[in-house]
Amino acid sequence: MRIFVVGAGQVGTTVVEALHDEHELTVIDLDPTRLDTLGNRYEIVSVEGNGASRRVLAEAGITAADLLIAATSRDEVNVVTSMFAKRLSPETKTIVRTTNVEYLELWQERELDIDFVVSTELETAHAISRIIGVPAARHTDVFAEGQVQVVEFDVVANAAGREVVGRPLRAARIPAESKVASIIRGERMILPRGDESIEPGDRVVIIGSPEAAKEWSRLMASRTRLVDEVVVVGGGQTGAAVTRLLLDQGIAVRVVEAAPDRAREVAEELPEARVFHATGTDPDFLERERIGDAGAAVFTMPDDAKNLYAATLAKLHGVSFTIAVVHDPLSAEVFDQAGIEVAVNPRTVTAEEIVRFAHDPRIRQVAMLEGDRFEVLDITVRSESALCGIVFKELPMTGSLIGAIVRDGEAIFPHGDDRLEPGDRAIIFTESARVQQVERAL
Amino acid sequence: MTLAARKTAVRRPAIRVDVGAALNLVGAQMRWFALAFLFPLGIALGYRETVWPWLAALAVAAASGFALEGVTQGKERVGLREGFLVVALTWLLGALFVSVPYLLHEPQLRNPVDAYFEAMSGMTTTGASVLTDVEALDHATAMWRQFSQWLGGMGIIVLALAVLPRLRVGGRQLMESEAPGPEFEALTASIRATARRLWFLYVALSAAQVVTLCAVDWTGADSTMSPYEAFAHTFTTMPTGGFSTRARSIEEFGPASQWTIAIFMVIAGVNFALLFRGFVRRQWTRVVRDEELRLYLAILALGTLVILADLLAKGIFAGEAAVRQAFFQASSMMTTTGFASADFNLWTSLTAIVLVALMFVGGSAGSTGGAIKPVRILLLGRILRRELDQTVHREAVVPIRFNRRVLDERTLRGVSVFVLLYLLVFAVGALLLVVEGARTGGGSVSPFEAIASAATALGNVGPAFGEFGPMGSFEPMSHLAKSVMIVLMWMGRLELLPVVVLLTRSYWRA
Repeated sequence: MRIFVVGAGQVGTTVVEALHDEHELTVIDLDPTRLDTLGNRYEIVSVEGNGASRRVLAEAGITAADLLIAATSRDEVNVVTSMFAKRLSPETKTIVRTTNVEYLELWQERELDIDFVVSTELETAHAISRIIGVPAARHTDVFAEGQVQVVEFDVVANAAGREVVGRPLRAARIPAESKVASIIRGERMILPRGDESIEPGDRVVIIGSPEAAKEWSRLMASRTRLVDEVVVVGGGQTGAAVTRLLLDQGIAVRVVEAAPDRAREVAEELPEARVFHATGTDPDFLERERIGDAGAAVFTMPDDAKNLYAATLAKLHGVSFTIAVVHDPLSAEVFDQAGIEVAVNPRTVTAEEIVRFAHDPRIRQVAMLEGDRFEVLDITVRSESALCGIVFKELPMTGSLIGAIVRDGEAIFPHGDDRLEPGDRAIIFTESARVQQVERAL
Repeated sequence: MTLAARKTAVRRPAIRVDVGAALNLVGAQMRWFALAFLFPLGIALGYRETVWPWLAALAVAAASGFALEGVTQGKERVGLREGFLVVALTWLLGALFVSVPYLLHEPQLRNPVDAYFEAMSGMTTTGASVLTDVEALDHATAMWRQFSQWLGGMGIIVLALAVLPRLRVGGRQLMESEAPGPEFEALTASIRATARRLWFLYVALSAAQVVTLCAVDWTGADSTMSPYEAFAHTFTTMPTGGFSTRARSIEEFGPASQWTIAIFMVIAGVNFALLFRGFVRRQWTRVVRDEELRLYLAILALGTLVILADLLAKGIFAGEAAVRQAFFQASSMMTTTGFASADFNLWTSLTAIVLVALMFVGGSAGSTGGAIKPVRILLLGRILRRELDQTVHREAVVPIRFNRRVLDERTLRGVSVFVLLYLLVFAVGALLLVVEGARTGGGSVSPFEAIASAATALGNVGPAFGEFGPMGSFEPMSHLAKSVMIVLMWMGRLELLPVVVLLTRSYWRA
């Protein structure tokens, strides 16, 4: 693939590092020294200039690119870059790195013409919740006012749901109101036929109700769940994102935030969290609130040194498992030396997610096997459709899957004995090649 | 400027409240209020009773209205600051005009204090009376008394839901969360539009009650409930007033009428914005989830059960009658209506204490009920719980929510201050009544009766205990005590703050 990377900072560099072997890379940055450093190490095309400039993109040959990764540290630059790229070259897929939750939400509501948005805070939160053993769902798509969700899970080793992991799907006990839409294994995408199985290390895509999505997250959680209660020190965007994910997984969270206004905001936003206006470096506070009793502590303050200090202090107070966010890649070693269990670098995590998406079969297939891609369709069934009135178990097997039906505004998750009726909205997971066939049939 | 002139300028700063503008608006309201006298006038004509007092009252109200407006011509800018004065004066002057026909025409109300007491009790929908023989009134006067409460109720709905929130009294945020939805708020940027919608509901509910009561009569379930009585008692149920045309209040009617009135009292004690949501917008799920409504019903149920248990245990009533009496009396006291379905004065002291306690709860915010109101009690409970929590966990940040919305600390402070002020005013009022009762009553007024009188006036309930009980009258009180009662009724109706604010120096100056 021909990939454009805009921004040669930490994220850009990590992305380049991971992708330079297999792909042709063009890196755009304003800073020539950064480009030189990168150019000396890897075989890339360097373009000095502003990525958010239409002219620069056009001159660099954006029309020939398969993928553009906007990875500067500035959200607006990334969004604008992606917009121009799409204008100049509609075929180019775009990934935007953002620290702003609003952009992520807009993208999820399909208000932004971007193929993939990676939020640094959210990725960091996901990484931390994976480490704690409760991988959280990634909502990729929402239909029928949220009644139908398309959700992705990382399958961790020793997941709790032994009834679904590691056994053929026809024997697996899939939660009611949900269907496995697809299994992603490395660079392959597997159709969920009865003889396939979900294995640790996979990513699995589910279509189902919000309740089913919750049930799936329980099944996907690690059997050796580490903790029931977590203390999050630092209530910034990352801290709040971690808190939200952990609360969703039924883990009690105490948040410690030093800025009074921010503490109040977090407390208002997350009614289930217990919020304290205090510093994580106040031994009196740690003692009084018995912070040492928490199963794990997460440190998400913006200052590495503070995180290290607070984490060390928490260990002294008896917290056995500490996870710290580190911003300087060189700090990781210091944290390791100090005995902090895990150090998470937001930029690395972001880069990893970008690389994963670049490797994702769904995008690779677009690039390599033209047209052979999966899509989620939302189609209203016509009254003259031949499929109306036939019970589901007798519908022809085509490689497309009806994940849910929306009838009179209510989502139904069909069983073998249900049937399609005219006017139903069908949420269908299908290969792109079959899109027209499906549309004709309905 | 000479030094001396500057000194006087410093010593006597100008009054910064535009009293003229406030009076102008009050005048305009009084002008319209004059029209209300057409109703008793019609009744007087219909029953061939004395007509001139009503014409005189109409003329006095209209003339004072026009005069007040004329004198203050050109001053029409009423701001937030003038609002307090307008609210306070409206009720004072409104009651004054209500009292005019009493003074002119009713022998029992010859004394101005008595007439004003009866009028204020009507305008504030209290229902306390200084009459010793209600049934001696002619039809027009009796109906005017009932009607004055219905008018007062209309005023209160607008006061509670449109005016006070804008004056930031009673918790602007609380009220905004109560106002029926964002789409509603956008439509009703003005007080006038909000008023129109809520009055429509008020009139519709009143009509429903009249029809139900008439149906009770026509179906033969209760032949004592004539259409005349149906109107008369609807006029004092919807505003949670409590005046009756009968000496024995609701006791004179049959069980079917009592149940009907009890249920409409409970409805009248619900936030009208919430009722609007339910009846007009059909958003019943949101109504059912309302935290204040839940607490309101829970306290009502609890009060009913305690009284019921007491009535059954003491053998005062049995079966359906016990349930009806307990429910009716709990509803009547808690919604601050003040009807009596029996002389609860003669029941036990436990029941008396429960009833006095319910007087402090009151109807929901945004209803026609008075007193502290369940939402404030709910929030006070949450504030207390947080204080206890933070005693141990000093750094805990605990936002307080109402109907899932976070309330700002200013609003919460307002709630605490209101409850404190309410209790303070009650205590002062009770003290004055106890002392005055001891001075003039010659030992016939017990402290409990005096205290209950203060609670019933401040909460706009109506009856107290002893000789001031539901079948009694406040007539034996001294004029000084009656005046204290009048002030308590007035302050309680206006949610205290608009009145108390007027007593501060900073309201008038700077």
